[in-house]
Amino acid sequence: MDKEAAKQAIVDFINSKSKSKSKFYFNDFTKVLPDMKTREVKKLLTQLINEGVLEFWSSGSTTMYGLAGAGKQHATEGEE
Amino acid sequence: MPKHETPMVDQLESGPWPSFVSEIKRQSEARHQKAKEMEEAGKPYQIPVDVCDDLLGVLEMSFKDGTTHWKHGGIVGVFGYGGGVIGRYCDQPEMFPGVAHFHTMRVNQPAGKYYTTEYLRQICDLWDFRGSGLTNMHGSTGDIVLLGTRTEQLEEIFGTLTHEMDQDLGGSGSNLRTPACCLGESRCEFACYDTQELCYQLTMEYQDELHRPAFPYKFKFKFDGCPNGCVASIARSDMSFIGTWRDEIRIDQEAVAAYIGGELKPNAGAHASRDWGPFDIQKEVIDLCPSQCMRLEDGKLIIDNKECVRCMHCINTMPRALRIGNDRGLSILVGAKAPILDGAQMGSLLVPFIKAEPPYDEIKEIIENIWDWWMEEGKNRERLGELIKRQGFQKLLEVTGIKPVPQHVQEPRHNPYIFWKEEEVPGGWQRDIKEFRKLHQR
Amino acid sequence: MTFVPSGYYNPDKPMEGRITDIGPRYYADFLPPVIKKNKGKWLYHEILEPGVLMHKAESGDEVYTVRCGSPRLLSVETIREICDIADKHCDGYVRFTTRNNIEFMVDSKDKLEALKEDLTSRKHPGGSYKFPIGGTGAGLTNIVHTQGWIHCHTPATDASATVKVVMDELFEEFQKMELPAKLRISMACCLNMCGAVHCSDIAILGYHRKPPIIDHEWLDNLCEIPLAVAACPTGAIRPTKTKITTESGEEKEVKTVAIKQERCMFCGNCYTMCPSLPLADKEGDGLVIMAGGKISNRISQPKFSKVVVAFIPNEPPRWPTLAKVMRKLVETYAKHARKYERFGDWAERIGWERFFELCELEFTHHLIDDFRDPAYYTWRQTTQFKF
Repeated sequence: MDKEAAKQAIVDFINSKSKSKSKFYFNDFTKVLPDMKTREVKKLLTQLINEGVLEFWSSGSTTMYGLAGAGKQHATEGEE
Repeated sequence: MPKHETPMVDQLESGPWPSFVSEIKRQSEARHQKAKEMEEAGKPYQIPVDVCDDLLGVLEMSFKDGTTHWKHGGIVGVFGYGGGVIGRYCDQPEMFPGVAHFHTMRVNQPAGKYYTTEYLRQICDLWDFRGSGLTNMHGSTGDIVLLGTRTEQLEEIFGTLTHEMDQDLGGSGSNLRTPACCLGESRCEFACYDTQELCYQLTMEYQDELHRPAFPYKFKFKFDGCPNGCVASIARSDMSFIGTWRDEIRIDQEAVAAYIGGELKPNAGAHASRDWGPFDIQKEVIDLCPSQCMRLEDGKLIIDNKECVRCMHCINTMPRALRIGNDRGLSILVGAKAPILDGAQMGSLLVPFIKAEPPYDEIKEIIENIWDWWMEEGKNRERLGELIKRQGFQKLLEVTGIKPVPQHVQEPRHNPYIFWKEEEVPGGWQRDIKEFRKLHQR
Repeated sequence: MTFVPSGYYNPDKPMEGRITDIGPRYYADFLPPVIKKNKGKWLYHEILEPGVLMHKAESGDEVYTVRCGSPRLLSVETIREICDIADKHCDGYVRFTTRNNIEFMVDSKDKLEALKEDLTSRKHPGGSYKFPIGGTGAGLTNIVHTQGWIHCHTPATDASATVKVVMDELFEEFQKMELPAKLRISMACCLNMCGAVHCSDIAILGYHRKPPIIDHEWLDNLCEIPLAVAACPTGAIRPTKTKITTESGEEKEVKTVAIKQERCMFCGNCYTMCPSLPLADKEGDGLVIMAGGKISNRISQPKFSKVVVAFIPNEPPRWPTLAKVMRKLVETYAKHARKYERFGDWAERIGWERFFELCELEFTHHLIDDFRDPAYYTWRQTTQFKF
């Protein structure tokens, strides 16, 4: 799978779950791309972050990924 | 006239210990006083001038109703980073608008926490201008903690830190947390390796792991220069690097005699406020040695170094007579964590001895092998110590390629339930029932 | 408030001109000259008096360090004052310790008295010292602690206030070295222990005792239910639906969660993920005291702290019960332990049954471990005990 297709697979996966949740652990993406090394998956996620497609979300102790601006808590924090 | 009446909080200004309430009030006063001056200098306060007043108000409210008034926010950092900022919002923003947003920024401290005043003043000026002016020196993990700013200031502060101060943020979330060390060789005769240098080099090597979380959970490195453990690495770091040596304790017999004779103060004076009677080397050193490897012969102290477990007691007690050995390095212990969830874990010894010399390739190899395993096998929110418990210490040895040695255990296993692998048993597990039946009837 | 941009950030092009991954400042640039010169070549040290250390180097150089307490929460005004002191006496260098003390260093003994006098003379208007000297040797050093009500969303108590109260109560131990060994007290404001207090001579720990309240009407609007469910370390939360009457009197069925309350360990992790599950409570929340842990490998091995008081209520602003218990623990230890015995070594030598008697602490069923496997190893499997 080339890079762009893999990135699309990540975004598609997030969209497919958007009804129930908007934030995902790193592990969830390694399962989406089982043939890829974890470090490679991380590089893709970093690219998506730097492109502004994804953003991090943190509980302070754990960090998750989601589409930029998505999610219920985001709206309630009054940042927009 | 204070903005909020805080009669309960005010009671924490008395008493001898430095009052954090006085600190907040001091900042509050300074902000009101300097607001105009800042404005005129083209640096108007970027968050409300009464942020400290409102913080005291929130605290008074918590004192009254016995509960917190902060909510967590998912905001994590600056663009591209997955850590370094902790989002906080007040749950009474109308009453306390000054602290409606009150995010924390973690700034990666210099190893050993030495500072020039020039640098500290830069931090102060930035934080006065763009934040509450309140800090923690330092947070539990080791960062400089800048306490309380608004969302729109985060990028501006980060930009100023990186462009003007050559200074990066620390970690939070599922990443490599800001590594921390004791002051090590910089001012301690017990340091068995250069904790500051190793801490700095690994921090730099693993910047990506620090800023962009992709671990199952948090991961901490801490560096103690000797088994006294002043940064508590053995209790609170997933990988704990503790200095040690493997040759002889250096002895100055003249100084030993001076301790015995009372010319030198034992314990470097650490017990001086109380009269414990004259120093008794037999009772206070030799009898307390955990491996009983010392004796006095004709006024000379003899140490059976092969039996020494390097607990530091004799060295701590007679620092002018005894010194750490010359063949120095460190031990690596892994898996320490606070109790949540399955109980606290202390670090378990993985590498009894390794040299700590730049470029530290051997140490990095161990780290990366462990990370590869943990990132592959670790469940979400599972600390390394819990993975080791779940998959076994043997698995840890396997992934790091380290040979088992008796030093790895307190004692051998209590049960014989060894899960032998097929390749460990001669002939393997594939057997022929016909051959068996030649000797055994059905 | 006029927004003043730093000039380094363009929201439309956030990666433009961005500097990242540069790490901390290099420590060696911040070392005082005498430290830099003698690094790795120190011979020995002496504690000249409580809070004052002298380190001697092979070169014959000496560095004198004055250690002061701090509340950890420092205003930039006070940090500037620290800088002024460091500029005046210490050539512009200063250091902080792992336990939040401040260290001022000078390179000769004749600079010491003026520095000490200067530090001791500085007080806050409320009367407390700004820079009390102490925290060395066989005494009490500063209490490491967490954020509490100042900044945290899951605390069961305040951290800064409880620490202030205990340090006021035990202040003389900070300025003396008359205990049998060093005494390390730590404070964490909830069981998540971001302060990792679990190996301290005495640990003060905030603890909740009530499961979260469920804000059914708002939960599905404010929270993502799968995240709240996944946040629970004991698996006590499950998704469900329930019928409610809204604030406006409307009856409706909403998506929400159910909590198996007897399984709740009161960690607050669900509240982090979902603000509709608050658990703080005035009567429910308070303190646990743990004791007998240590980090150092000196004489005995490192060990965990054990719970010795199951609950002390929150009594702001000055937590009198906490102060009383802490004084009793420290006084009893000081009176009975042998020289070099850490708190836990002493309790183990005399036996915990004797410990409870001497410290006049009530032993209750809460103090017997019943949490998972390790519990068994804390029960007594011997006929050796004391009456």
